[in-house]
Amino acid sequence: MNNDIPVQALGGQGEVMAHAVDACVHCGFCLPACPTYALLGDEMDSPRGRIVLMKEVLEGGLPLADAAPHLDRCLGCQACVTACPSGVPYGELITAFRGWSEPQRQRSAFARSKRWAILKALPAPKLFSVAARVGQFAKPLAPVLPAALRGPLDLLPESVPAMQPSAKVTPARGVQRGRVAFLVGCAQQALAPNFNAATLRVLARNGIEVVIPDGQGCCGAAALHTGARDEALKLVRANLDAFNPDDFDAILSNAAGCGAGLKEYPMVLHGEPDETRAKAFAAKVMDISEYLNTLLQNGELEPPVPASRPLTVAYHDACHLAHAQGVRAAPRALLRAIPGVSVLEVPEGDLCCGSAGTYNLEQPELAGQLGARKAKNILSTTADLIASGNIGCHTQIQSHVRRQGSPTPVLHTIEILDRAYRGEL
Amino acid sequence: MSTEKLALTTNSSARKPASAGGASNALAADLTRALGPRKVLSNLSERLNYRYDAIQFGATPLAVVLPESTEDVVAAVRASRAAGVPIVGRGAASGLSGGAAPLEPGLVISFTRMTRLTIHPERREATAQAGVVTLAVTEAAKPHGLIYPPDPASFRTSTIGGNLAENAGGPMCFKYGVSGDYVRALEFVDADGEVHRLTRDVFDLAGLLIGSEGTLGLITEATLRLIPPPKFTRTLMAHFPEVGACAEAVSRAIAAGAVPSKLEFMDRACTNAVEDYLHLGLPRDAEAVLLVDTDGEDLDTVQDELRLVEDACVASGGTVRRAATDDEGAQLWRARRSVSPALGRIRPQRMNEDIVVPRSALPDVVREIRALGDASPFRLVQFGHIGDGNLHPNILFDPRTEDAHAVHDLAHRIALVAIRHGGVLSGEHGIGSMKRDFMTDAVDPATMQALRGVKRALDPSGALNPGKILPAEEVMVDG
Repeated sequence: MNNDIPVQALGGQGEVMAHAVDACVHCGFCLPACPTYALLGDEMDSPRGRIVLMKEVLEGGLPLADAAPHLDRCLGCQACVTACPSGVPYGELITAFRGWSEPQRQRSAFARSKRWAILKALPAPKLFSVAARVGQFAKPLAPVLPAALRGPLDLLPESVPAMQPSAKVTPARGVQRGRVAFLVGCAQQALAPNFNAATLRVLARNGIEVVIPDGQGCCGAAALHTGARDEALKLVRANLDAFNPDDFDAILSNAAGCGAGLKEYPMVLHGEPDETRAKAFAAKVMDISEYLNTLLQNGELEPPVPASRPLTVAYHDACHLAHAQGVRAAPRALLRAIPGVSVLEVPEGDLCCGSAGTYNLEQPELAGQLGARKAKNILSTTADLIASGNIGCHTQIQSHVRRQGSPTPVLHTIEILDRAYRGEL
Repeated sequence: MSTEKLALTTNSSARKPASAGGASNALAADLTRALGPRKVLSNLSERLNYRYDAIQFGATPLAVVLPESTEDVVAAVRASRAAGVPIVGRGAASGLSGGAAPLEPGLVISFTRMTRLTIHPERREATAQAGVVTLAVTEAAKPHGLIYPPDPASFRTSTIGGNLAENAGGPMCFKYGVSGDYVRALEFVDADGEVHRLTRDVFDLAGLLIGSEGTLGLITEATLRLIPPPKFTRTLMAHFPEVGACAEAVSRAIAAGAVPSKLEFMDRACTNAVEDYLHLGLPRDAEAVLLVDTDGEDLDTVQDELRLVEDACVASGGTVRRAATDDEGAQLWRARRSVSPALGRIRPQRMNEDIVVPRSALPDVVREIRALGDASPFRLVQFGHIGDGNLHPNILFDPRTEDAHAVHDLAHRIALVAIRHGGVLSGEHGIGSMKRDFMTDAVDPATMQALRGVKRALDPSGALNPGKILPAEEVMVDG
């Protein structure tokens, strides 16, 4: 789309934004992919509509405050990126735009403190764990609390498990086949410590040594996608210092959001001195399912123990795996590699579950509608188990599936594989 | 500024007014009183987005209405008539001729929330409000063993109302016809806000509304004919070292008696743009690729027909690959559907032609157009529903570095090739504002007067989608 974006004045991120706007031909193929367009049916809450709004703001023809409500409603799910034949890097545009515009935003004191609390608690597992425990005590009070506080409480699990610190080095079992670095993630350590435990067990069983490098922290995605660019840059640089890509076969994440965040580092640092380092780093980043699937495809994956009875698994595509990273086949292939397991497709599978990082906390109403729709679609498959590869989706889906009265277990893909290895499936 | 210049320069419409939001005019305020705030958009951030269709230019409307019922449309039309401003109807705005883009500030009625759809399997009919997405009709009909055949490339996005306004086609049109062929009845709101329900007996007024691009009335609902899907479908892809050879193969196959359900062509640039997007292993070096489906109730007949096409392709110098599985066939069709937007990877903007020529003239026409493109400084690509003789030559350009007038001039020369070979200007995308100026080449003066008479009869004050289809009347000034 033709534009007069003052690229020179905006620097590296200006180039990223102008390139994305250039690429849009306004064809509308993105409309059916967009969750907010599906709910609201208006152009401003669609991907191409938001591109027009961002273009107008960047050109100076529209005040930021007029465009902001529509841009804030974007989940960043990037389903539009998958749907776009013209190759518009929409995710890069909205991320860069949020970073550029956040310093100019005027927010109420309440909104500012809520953002501050989220951005402080998310990357700090211990703090998050404490907050989650406090939240549990507050749960019975939910009906009388303001809506802004009710949303996060609704999402808390029935019980917050104890933290399980992971060993710095997990040796390979049997013959060592590889050596990887692992990003342990933030909120997921507090909400679902078994994800990491299962990941380490499965990798070790397959002859992979796993190192958890010191000094690593939050991937920065939450800060980046909410526009807290300075905060995000600190986290990005800390991880670039912590992980030396030359030391490992791969840098793994088992949370789709974090993995996508790590793969975004070159875009974040576009035009800056660390760009080269970020490229070398991102080239090694893989989702856990991608990595294990390469073993499977090479015939090197340790065969899982057959399930004790035929099991159907509804696999939920996390947006940050399917759309942001393009990983769809790998997790399905891993699940199918377990004898006795068959994978079911979820109707409207490409539509976001509404979790989307901090979206649940910032746009609870739309997030709730999407969560309910997703749970209904998943339950329509009548699968025995529900699998996903992202802590955000996991929490959201579990909460909405329970609300719809179903006890169906919601598990990480790797947990299912782990259970199979342990003969517990 | 002339229409064509407007059409080719994104930011050429008058500089947008700055606004802090809020209802900025009496029309928006009236509409909000009549319809409530949820159905009326009046902030600049909301209105800006309703300037465009896929041609990316237009005037910012004064207000936008998102009706949920025919009554809402009536109320919106009455309010805008009272305010004396023009009305433009809009579906998903995926059109390529500027049909849904307002040329002057007024009211835009966007039908995307009018999505009621009912299937009547016993009558093999669907009743769809204007905003129903095209694909949704077939998906709802499938459990009843029925389909809705019209399948424009944008069918996941585009709406029934928009399809009917443009009389959209699609790959299936060769054997099964275009959108208008499936309409049993129409409901529309006229320029005065009166509701009419049309069938196709007596005067075929429904036929007049179909393809009228919102210039004669606003289609609010349609009763559509459904058919049982063919039992068997087989797909082949052929590629050719030269574009004319591909057209020859098509003529030869049809002359041999084949009636494929789909016959689609894309040239080398199209194949490569799609390959960049989908990575399907399409033949990047071929000058032309032909995609063909044959279908029917009897597998032997379907296979025989596919063989006729295969023989014709080989005889014209093509290389043939049959799709081994349904899935492979589906992938190839996904490739074809993505051609148009995938061209955005090559240049940010394009002038899109939609000519239809007699099939016997196809080899000459594609070669002549190829030659025009080669002699110009622009990237020119061709694809289309070649079985129908419906071609989409596209001029790809960058408005920042390339001359919009030269683009328009090349488009005009392409249109003249079609007319010289006995063809027409539009098969399925409409005339809109993009090809309006070529109408005087294509339509004789007496016919033009008849068209103007129809427009005056149904929309005497010219309020409905002004500036589309019909060129401005010459005003004679005595000397």
